[in-house]
Amino acid sequence: MKILAIDSSAKPVSVAVSEDQNLLGEFFINNGLTHSQTLAPMVADILKVLKININGIDLFAVSLGPGSFTGLRIGIATIKGLAFANNTPCIGVSTLNSIAYNFWRENKTVCVVMDAKCNNVYTAIFEISESKITRITQDRLMSIEDLYSEVEKLEKEVILVGDGAVLCYNKNKKKLKVRLALENKQNQRASSVALAAYASYSNGDAVICPSELKPVYLRKSQAERNLIVDSKKEILL
Amino acid sequence: MLRIISNSCKQTEKIGKNFAHKLFGTEIIALFGDLGVGKTTFTKGICLGLDIKTNVCSPTFSIINEYDGRHKVYHFDMYRVKNMDDLYSTGFFDYIGNGIIIIEWSENIEKILPQNSIKIFIEYGNCENQRIFNFEGVNMNENFSD
Repeated sequence: MKILAIDSSAKPVSVAVSEDQNLLGEFFINNGLTHSQTLAPMVADILKVLKININGIDLFAVSLGPGSFTGLRIGIATIKGLAFANNTPCIGVSTLNSIAYNFWRENKTVCVVMDAKCNNVYTAIFEISESKITRITQDRLMSIEDLYSEVEKLEKEVILVGDGAVLCYNKNKKKLKVRLALENKQNQRASSVALAAYASYSNGDAVICPSELKPVYLRKSQAERNLIVDSKKEILL
Repeated sequence: MLRIISNSCKQTEKIGKNFAHKLFGTEIIALFGDLGVGKTTFTKGICLGLDIKTNVCSPTFSIINEYDGRHKVYHFDMYRVKNMDDLYSTGFFDYIGNGIIIIEWSENIEKILPQNSIKIFIEYGNCENQRIFNFEGVNMNENFSD
């Protein structure tokens, strides 16, 4: 089964084509947020060099979020457009879950952190063994301090990975046992999205039609969101 | 907190222009102040100081204007931004760290402004064209009105 996967959830953007679990090719650009200009040519080029026709793709995969608001929309809209013509099945995966696949088959506990700005991170913890990746926590939006109190409870060495990893690493005030992932494993990768999508497909998770793909922004609860309305505002209006 | 008094539109622009020379390129500048207090004039001054040639106007309807100069500038008007959903859908968080962000009507998003933001409160002075600028969160001790 040929899978075409896209990740544009944060600063880097990447496209990968895989045959089941074998990666056939991957293009990766980390040159600032220019996804609206780079993504479409990257898809066209990777298919061209691999000599694969877009009609030969059996499954489209994309990271649904959390991540950059604009980035997620670019990635999902692109996949929708590609899959729409033949109504090819699609799978959306959590960005955090896909990053955990950078450590596939390594025995590690990884804490995926993406910078959500304003001292917050999108985060999830995964236990990775030789045969599978087990989710320990849901995808959440939380402060770095709250995340550390959770890491403390785990009482084991945790690898920090993702674009918020360095930020978290520098704020480790309690000197907990955390390590930074190697540079080549820090980023969101379309190849990992493809792996996560294949795992999800093999687990029997239903594929969906392109129109059903929706971004998962992972925002704050309604109560917190309303905090934004300042009392002064009512006077002004 | 640094306090500067402006006595004219021209002077407000000048304060902005001089302030611009202090910027490195990724600052978040939050402007507070009532209608007609000079938020846009001050922004024009900053843009002038950054060699931005395009016309600078308040993005009340577009919410974001983008300018290219010595640094990239993202000019926000939060007047119509009423809640977190509104703010999120402007892509605000994607812009942080990618250029200078200037925000008009920061009152509307005060509670979630990043901690390192430079806050500038503009008030009416005693006479018609007088305005009082209060700078917070930036280390300045020069006279910007010169």
